[in-house]
Amino acid sequence: MTSKSIWFFSQIIKRHGGASQLRSFVRCSSCAAEGAVVPPLHSSITAEQAVKLWTQYFTLQGISEPLLSSQYIIAHALGRKTLDAVDRRRLRDPLTDRERDKVWKLCSKRLTSMPVQYVIEEWDFRDLTLKMTPPVFIPRPETEELVGLVLEDLRLMLGESYGTDLRCLEVGCGSGAVSLSLLHDIPHLRVLALDQSQAAVCLTLENACRLGLQDRLEVQHLDVMGDADTILNKCGPIHFLVSNPPYLLSKDMQSLQTEILQFEDHAALDGGSDGLSVIRSILALASQLLIERGRVYLEVAPCHPPIIQQLIEERMPELLYLETRCDLTNRPRFCILQRKGKDD
Amino acid sequence: MSSMLFLNLRFLRDISGISLSWHRRFLRWPFVLVAGKKDLIDLPEVNEEDLEEQFVRGSGPGGQATNKTSNCVVLKHIPTGIVVKCHQTRSVTHNRKLAREILRGKLEVEYNGEESELLRRKRESIQEKREKRRKVNENIERKRRFKEILNTDGDKKC
Repeated sequence: MTSKSIWFFSQIIKRHGGASQLRSFVRCSSCAAEGAVVPPLHSSITAEQAVKLWTQYFTLQGISEPLLSSQYIIAHALGRKTLDAVDRRRLRDPLTDRERDKVWKLCSKRLTSMPVQYVIEEWDFRDLTLKMTPPVFIPRPETEELVGLVLEDLRLMLGESYGTDLRCLEVGCGSGAVSLSLLHDIPHLRVLALDQSQAAVCLTLENACRLGLQDRLEVQHLDVMGDADTILNKCGPIHFLVSNPPYLLSKDMQSLQTEILQFEDHAALDGGSDGLSVIRSILALASQLLIERGRVYLEVAPCHPPIIQQLIEERMPELLYLETRCDLTNRPRFCILQRKGKDD
Repeated sequence: MSSMLFLNLRFLRDISGISLSWHRRFLRWPFVLVAGKKDLIDLPEVNEEDLEEQFVRGSGPGGQATNKTSNCVVLKHIPTGIVVKCHQTRSVTHNRKLAREILRGKLEVEYNGEESELLRRKRESIQEKREKRRKVNENIERKRRFKEILNTDGDKKC
């Protein structure tokens, strides 16, 4: 521990606990192992104070989003999703021993740059709360928009109740966010979800059971690039295909933040040198599995839409490029394609 | 998109703890629940074209390349200049919905000024709480006096 850290902590402890704690802290740190990085447990600390303390410590250690991390973790330790949802009075009461131990244990994990979603082992996606476990890919907010866009498009085409029985294929289900969200909103939808990661398959199934959606979902451990024939045999005709495939360019992988590089599955991110290696396989599959005028909804990198459009026009005559949509940060993010009908 | 104007009442029920009959979900009325109250207020509708929405996602390329927990939605109503921020939930979709609801509440106050139904209810609720506190304090005082009387009586007897 650096002398700067020791000075810093002495300031915090003086503010919160007084000289006796400072002495015990100095004793602890002098016999602590080299590289020990956790602030000492105070005998009594309120939730509010814990948030301040850990925010300061995350900042000191260069952890990103120090305040938000602290708030989400401590709210979770108190049984809530956000700090706003915790009763004002409870925030000023001392934490119980159990709560304090939990806060310290979870915040220590965050100190390793573990994403908050893995630390608290859950996250929200639209109307759902899903379990999160490393290294299964954590759903991003943009993907909530992908689901919104699919629902809106289906309503436009099929009416408010989404027509009759629908079948969908999801490629790269991860934690199950997209499939489960769609199953939740469309009562008569049936989904076949695939992922090349066994961990993702297990997590999707677990989340499905937690939400009572397992009856209309089938999950298979298959790779769209290597197992195309198996997929064609197993999967009947589908009304639409949805995917948030790995779309990052290989050369951009190394500059990713630590949270992603060290904890999330790289295979869920890396789309090859042009970011399109998995997308190409998905489009090939789509052209064979979709019913006439069935649609593909993809989340992609901002540079992809014109390239995909050109690719379709040159090499995939069965598909029609319909539309590019932007995400909330105004980046081109979503592609909608359609399988041509016999008369198109 | 009409779906953006339409309020998800099931979600509102969940956050306000009030049960609504399901058929209301399909009535496209511009009403919303004021948390804790059973009556419904007519809030002004907003046109998506009048809104400018920003998504605070932290710095970075976005999409798969970014893993941040910040999902704050900033909504600006262009005609009035009113700006609303919302990061109350862990879902950006819910934050967007909530931001619109908060904005509609602000517009109700803006358009109606003194006549604002929301402000009137807020004043009423503050009044009610004051009345309640006054009564509780009166009760405590009454009991204290009664105890005093009992004690002095007891002294006399002894």
